[in-house]
Amino acid sequence: MTTTRASRPTATESLADQKVPAALVVGGGVAGMQAALDIANQGFKVYLLEQSPSIGGRMAMIDKTFPTLDCSACILTPRLSETSRHPNIELLSYSEIKSISGEVGNFRVKVRRKARYVNEKKCSACGDCVPVCPVEVPNSFDQGLGFRKAIYSPFPQATPAAYTIDKKGDPACRATCPAHVNAQGFVTLMKQGKYDQALEIVREAIPFPGVLGRVCIGFCEAECERGTLDDSISIRNLHRFLADYERSNKLARPITARIDKKDKVAVIGAGPAGLSCAYQLARKGYPVTVFERSSHPGGLLRYAIPEYRLPRDILDEEIQRIVDFGVKIKVNTPIKSVRGLLEKGFKAVFVGSGACVSNRLGAPGEDVKGVIRSVEFLEKINTGQKVEIGSRVAVIGGGDAAVDAARVAARLGAKDVTVIYRRSNVEIPAIPSQVEDAKREGVKFMMLTNPIEVLSSKGVLTGVRCVRMRLGEPDHSGRMRPIPIAGSEFTLAIDTMLLGVGQSADSLGVQKECECTEFATVKADPVTLQTSIPGVFAGGDVVTGPLTVVKAVGHGRQAAESIDRYLRGLPLDSGISPAKHRVQSYEVDKSTIPQAKRAVMPKRGTSSGRADFSEVELGFAEEHARAEAERCLNCAVCCECGLCVKACQREAIDHSMADESVELSVGAIVIATGYQLFDITAYPQFGYGKFPNVIHAMQYERLINAAGPTKGHLIRLSDGRIPHSIGFIQCVGARDVSKDVPFCSRVCCMYGIKNAVMAKEHIPDADVTIYYADIRAFGKGFEEFYEMARTRFGVRFVRGRVAEVMEKKTHNLVVRFEDTETSKIQDVEHDLLVISPGIQPPEGLDDLAVELGMDLGTDGYVGVTNEIITPVDTSVKGVFVCGCADSPKDIPDSVSAGSAAAMRATIILNQMRNKA
Amino acid sequence: MMSEPEHGPEKDVEYHPNSRFSQEIAAEPGGEYIRKCIQCGLCTASCMVANYTDKYRPRRIIQKILLGEREQVLASELPWLCMTCRLCEERCQEGVSLAEIFHVVRDIAAREGRVPKVFKDTVNQVLKDGWLLKDAFSDFIQDDRTDLGLNPEVNFDGEFVKKVKKRYFEQGDKEEVKDE
Repeated sequence: MTTTRASRPTATESLADQKVPAALVVGGGVAGMQAALDIANQGFKVYLLEQSPSIGGRMAMIDKTFPTLDCSACILTPRLSETSRHPNIELLSYSEIKSISGEVGNFRVKVRRKARYVNEKKCSACGDCVPVCPVEVPNSFDQGLGFRKAIYSPFPQATPAAYTIDKKGDPACRATCPAHVNAQGFVTLMKQGKYDQALEIVREAIPFPGVLGRVCIGFCEAECERGTLDDSISIRNLHRFLADYERSNKLARPITARIDKKDKVAVIGAGPAGLSCAYQLARKGYPVTVFERSSHPGGLLRYAIPEYRLPRDILDEEIQRIVDFGVKIKVNTPIKSVRGLLEKGFKAVFVGSGACVSNRLGAPGEDVKGVIRSVEFLEKINTGQKVEIGSRVAVIGGGDAAVDAARVAARLGAKDVTVIYRRSNVEIPAIPSQVEDAKREGVKFMMLTNPIEVLSSKGVLTGVRCVRMRLGEPDHSGRMRPIPIAGSEFTLAIDTMLLGVGQSADSLGVQKECECTEFATVKADPVTLQTSIPGVFAGGDVVTGPLTVVKAVGHGRQAAESIDRYLRGLPLDSGISPAKHRVQSYEVDKSTIPQAKRAVMPKRGTSSGRADFSEVELGFAEEHARAEAERCLNCAVCCECGLCVKACQREAIDHSMADESVELSVGAIVIATGYQLFDITAYPQFGYGKFPNVIHAMQYERLINAAGPTKGHLIRLSDGRIPHSIGFIQCVGARDVSKDVPFCSRVCCMYGIKNAVMAKEHIPDADVTIYYADIRAFGKGFEEFYEMARTRFGVRFVRGRVAEVMEKKTHNLVVRFEDTETSKIQDVEHDLLVISPGIQPPEGLDDLAVELGMDLGTDGYVGVTNEIITPVDTSVKGVFVCGCADSPKDIPDSVSAGSAAAMRATIILNQMRNKA
Repeated sequence: MMSEPEHGPEKDVEYHPNSRFSQEIAAEPGGEYIRKCIQCGLCTASCMVANYTDKYRPRRIIQKILLGEREQVLASELPWLCMTCRLCEERCQEGVSLAEIFHVVRDIAAREGRVPKVFKDTVNQVLKDGWLLKDAFSDFIQDDRTDLGLNPEVNFDGEFVKKVKKRYFEQGDKEEVKDE
């Protein structure tokens, strides 16, 4: 993760007024806020660090407090604003501790301020951005009930009052695509039927949504995270759908060329690389001229790819769009000299002349009649020339050109077409669906076979001698190296041989003026694509050797960026944003996603006879495309569609923000990191996560909260009905030796009773039952509250822990328990079950402890030096603890501990002040 | 106080129900944690056997042990009904091993010659026939096996039983298993 040095005035300020000792409070829950306020009110500086976008902690999620049934938010929110307005408190929300060094009186703390992508100062929390955001993810503040957008504010009174964009980085699809097409972006917009905006996103990156939607190899699909769950998203076919949809509904808006710059740019070669470069430059306003040797633009798209894969009208229209942007394409104009172009007044040149020379097989006897290079073969077919082929055709090679040649040969009437490839069908580089289609059309594949000699009689091809191969160790390309099997030679009688064993750059080509490799490819900088001649850039096959269309298109885009910088006189490497974090598999929660197969591409049948040259893949219907888009997992959450930027009237949203690093100097540290709920999926017998009407207590809090996902209506999740029988299961993930939580969580009995009482308040006629082993009503007013729940509210208390929960067809739940007062085993049906989980030390507390050199107890809580006389002192001098970080506490106890920790911290700060 | 609860028998201070019988059980291997039981009923509600009979309530047996009802527990055939599926142990939040405890109870009962007659009979039947269901294996069952495509002959090997008896039971050909 990249971070830049902080330029925040407030952070550097701390060095200037170092005379005022400062404290760091880690955790902005109710205990942390109390500690921060108490320290700040004594005239010290306080940094209040919170990892989530807003302070408030768990109390902000809770509906009511026990035993007084006060509104939690009503108590909390004045504290929130007091904390955020306090002149001595600096709020570091959405931040994490990177490292801590030093000792009491002088801790140096490095903090990573995560990018919100929203300017806290400019954002007024108006929420205009929310309705336009297309990404919906489970609402973590509401405990996964309901959804929130990628741009969000956890709750209405969130402090600081600024929205946050949840962006994890680059999704796998976008990171993999050589042209960096924002795949998650356009797929997400497709979910909402915003096809025009989706297409706009594709066209940001590439001029060819329709062309690449047909011929792209789809690197993105190989890396798609959905593939680890069932099938990857059909990304390629989805942008093909977008292009087709626009075309068939005639929605394309006319393009007006905006050429407003003076510096002329020349592009050599109207192939995918050159056209892509010209497209991007013209959109930036540069006058571009593309020089093409052949009679039509398109390069190998036109001359190598057969019409049944890429109908020519699609290609022509997309090239016409490029011309509409103001690009001039001069066909039949071979270029002799790159330098000559520069002399003619072009300020920059892009060389995209491709790799147009076919490789030789390297076997004896290949220069006989009947041996045709597959690219030349395809070119002749694609330009309408006639090619004589025999009835028995062998195609050598496993690339797309070879497979295309084989399918064309079959269409031309060859009876027997065999593709001979030296590796297995796992390594074959052709697009898998093309191989499949070829097989469907009757093309045979002879894998693990290599031609060793071309047999001829009187200069005419008669057959080919082959040898069987086996796969050995991986070679430098990472593929298994094929090794001939001795004695396995055999002869195949053929009339025509199509050679598709690769292409090379023309060693006599125009690129030779630049510094080249021994393969005649240009040596270009991998990032800027600049060649040895200043102002000359190169990309596509002429740099990489023969590769795929999308790589060439990506190079064109990359070169356009460089040329723009070059012409503006900027350093070529300036402004290249450092590679963003690629979202990793473990960061995407797939646990709750039901499996769904990918959409099947409808294809024209071949059962009715031989295939012809009309298109085979027919494209998705709208409903299938929408359904396919729905499968996208939103790996990076924010898809960078940019709609929020347009919606924001205060220009507060900046997607280019990066994480910042801040260094603090503090005299004392207060740890108030709170707690996490026990993960109750460790109790499979209760069916949480499987039965929709089994929820946990924090979800219940959100359900009954007026600001929650149901606006405070207590309903069950399976059907939205009002539950008339509610059960509460106590002691789950607490007092359980077998789950390593032997201690009592202290709060569950009381919050359980409180929740039961609230259930009665919401639905007075409901039958509410609490299943318990002991009721621990240990504090002031608690026993009375328990008594009131039983007598006044009529909550039923059953002594007996629940053994298991079963679900009925109605999604009602049956709990089995032994009523220990009667020794009867009972099965009782409830509409809704609420599990009261115990509480545990929060995630990441152990890392913080390591950073501080602090002791944790065996239970994972912060250890205090003496529980009786120094209950807030940790084992590290100057570091104090409050709230639930050292043991389970209820709210009043947490706040008391916050004040206590503040007092202990200010003793140190006072000593520092007195010394100074 | 947040101290780690200690497992195992305590010497100095007694926090747990402390009948003499529960001490006796706790002193045997497998019975150590009996006094951790808080009588929550999770075992009974999880129990397969208790699901089918009202007589058998594992929690009640533990309760009787804790209360020191030695006579009643050892005379009862209930501790012998546990199938040792250990679902109760899997779920018990206090770490009480009921199957082990019932094993200890049965050990004590056997030592004192109090194996219920039905269990004695069962063992003797096995020692006599080599298996339990010899009397029940009828022509009907043979027919059923044929219908199911199974071999109707179970090929029971009486010689092998004799060898086993000789090898593992000192009584050899003697008729009855005596109380140890």
